[in-house]
Amino acid sequence: MSLSRKRNDILFFALCVLPPLLLYMVFYIYPTLNTFWLSLFEYSGIGGAMTFVGLENFAYILKDEHLLKSFGNNLILMLFVPFPTLIIALGSAAALSRKDLKERNFYRTVFFFPSILSFVVVAIVWYFIYSPNSGLLNNCLNALGLKALALPWLGDSRTALGAIIVVLIWQAFGYYMVMYIAGIDSIPQELYEAAEVDGASPFKQFYKITIPLLWPVIRITLVFMIGGTITISFLVANVLTAGGPNFATDTALNQMYRQGTINANYGYAMAIAVVVFLFSMILSMISNRLTNREEKTHG
Amino acid sequence: MKRMVLALLAAICLVPLSFAQAKDVKSFSNKTLNVAVFQGGYGRDYWDAIIAEFEKDYPGVKVNLTASPKIGDVIRPQIVSGNPPDFIYFNEGDAGGVVAGMIKDRSLTDLTDVFNGPAIDQKKAIKDLIIPGTLAGRSCSPYLDGKIYLGPYNYTPMGLVYNKNFFDKNNIALPKTIDEFYALAAVAKKFNRALFTYQGIYPGYLEEIYVPAVYAAGGTKAVQSMYTYDPAFWTSDAAKKAFGVFPKIAALDNGLMKGTVALNHTQSQTEMMKGNAMFIVNGPWMEGEMKDAPREEGFTFGFAGFPGFKAGDPTYCQTGIETFMIPSKAKNAALAKEFLRYLYTTKSIKLNAEKANGVFAVVGAADLVKDKLSESTYNFYKGAESMIQVTGHWGVLPKSSKLNIADEVNNPITSLMNGQMTIDQYTAQLDKVWKQAAAEIKAAN
Repeated sequence: MSLSRKRNDILFFALCVLPPLLLYMVFYIYPTLNTFWLSLFEYSGIGGAMTFVGLENFAYILKDEHLLKSFGNNLILMLFVPFPTLIIALGSAAALSRKDLKERNFYRTVFFFPSILSFVVVAIVWYFIYSPNSGLLNNCLNALGLKALALPWLGDSRTALGAIIVVLIWQAFGYYMVMYIAGIDSIPQELYEAAEVDGASPFKQFYKITIPLLWPVIRITLVFMIGGTITISFLVANVLTAGGPNFATDTALNQMYRQGTINANYGYAMAIAVVVFLFSMILSMISNRLTNREEKTHG
Repeated sequence: MKRMVLALLAAICLVPLSFAQAKDVKSFSNKTLNVAVFQGGYGRDYWDAIIAEFEKDYPGVKVNLTASPKIGDVIRPQIVSGNPPDFIYFNEGDAGGVVAGMIKDRSLTDLTDVFNGPAIDQKKAIKDLIIPGTLAGRSCSPYLDGKIYLGPYNYTPMGLVYNKNFFDKNNIALPKTIDEFYALAAVAKKFNRALFTYQGIYPGYLEEIYVPAVYAAGGTKAVQSMYTYDPAFWTSDAAKKAFGVFPKIAALDNGLMKGTVALNHTQSQTEMMKGNAMFIVNGPWMEGEMKDAPREEGFTFGFAGFPGFKAGDPTYCQTGIETFMIPSKAKNAALAKEFLRYLYTTKSIKLNAEKANGVFAVVGAADLVKDKLSESTYNFYKGAESMIQVTGHWGVLPKSSKLNIADEVNNPITSLMNGQMTIDQYTAQLDKVWKQAAAEIKAAN
């Protein structure tokens, strides 16, 4: 290849990469750096003066009881959302990968559907489902004679968080199911045939073939789930319960939103964002470390 | 002689000037005004109408109106970039936090000169038109330094709303004491309805009960003690008595309508209008807000205050004020101030009643606009006039405070209503918050 042709190629690549890179810097990198910077200030967020306060915002975080409680809610969500989502998504993916299921396309579409809805729409739909007097859930329970179970789901601090966990799982599992289906489809059919010949049951095939070969995909989706739980839970909680009742469904990001917009403590809100970022990063790193295995090769 | 004739001639020449109104003499260098208003239960028709009138009376002036139910979110970026609207109307308890932020930042224009100055269509200072006590209160003078930073708009008595037709038809008397109120739960049961419901996921509405209740239990002293973060407030009898109303209602048989805690404002209001609850808390905007909502046959709006604790006590209601403000960074503060003056003309007050069913915080306003208000809204205000009206506002905390007092007081009431918290636990929790607030104020001074 001549030198000028190579230079032309490099120029071409640079021109292709430059616009998205610029957009990425402006809309991702700069705001992230700005967040870290603003967390060191006391600022109302409404155009007033910015006062440098160093790590004072972070010191307050350690004393802020509401915020610490909301981090507790984040931990609960982290325990009860990713794993059920993973299991349900994996199970449906396995069920829908069987070549002999005629309606598989229909089910695939239906299960995937919730994950393409906007999160606000998801929250509003479930708001009506959970509505105590006219909602789908309570009306079903009443019709089945289970009147005692027809609770005010979103208004009772004991049930509100669980109600939100259900919404989050419902919203997410279809998305990951599709990823797992694609992963399973790429596993060579001969492996299953050979296992069948050896007398392995479908469950054993799933456990010994599907999961190990799907493991890299599972690892990545776990990281997605961690980040997704943090952001989506904020949106859903904000619309469904506004963090209530009595702070029962408050997540750290809800607190951030409230301190930043309603309380005019923008600097403090940015400090909360920084802590959530670190929390998310540490969890992802732990998840990655725990799920690290040697890559199994085929055959 | 010659001098006298000259003087007389001069006087005659100057006479027409006395008829010239301020608006013809003043000319504004900047003729564009940017107005941003909250659009809610009162709608936006009043604003469209009054702006049309303003542009007619001030030829050459162009007003750009932005109206939105989420006006805080709309104008926030404008304010942050240094381009705020010239004139803003926000509803009470604005959820966007913009008003709170601007008060904390001290970025509002001082409006004292507007109120000390003359009204456009009467020979009075504007401040003499306003209901006494309003301008000195925290809603208008947030720093309590005698300077007015927010102009009063609608004043809204708030309290118990009930179906007047239902009560009249069934000969049910309004409760005169809180015990009579509790007793109505049994009466309500006979008519297949609960005693009380409220806007479950927005426990802030219950302010309309506990503020008058605190007054009923402890007078002005108790109310002030609450609003100024007196560390002794939550251990007082007045606090326990007033806030104890909520667990009492929750414990009553047929007290709180089933499912209340999970309902939003329109749902709970609809349930009450359909006859599933006897009372709800609300203000005069409810009629407009629910104009398309279903209701039981013959429903009419009635307004009752909070009944006192002892026999012979008067009834109380909370009154709130909606406000206008002019940001200090507004590009056209001069014209905005003139617009503000214009809003207090009789024409404007009447238009507000006609188009928005609202009543300005002006002396005698309800009667002034009686013919423009709907009958039930007029009854709302007339009824409130015979009650003890309690106003107040949470004191401004120092700029660095992370406390949101409204949330601290209001949110746990849901747990009181759910029976998951006792009144002692509630007051103990808030006692801690109050002590923190008091400490923060002390540290800032």
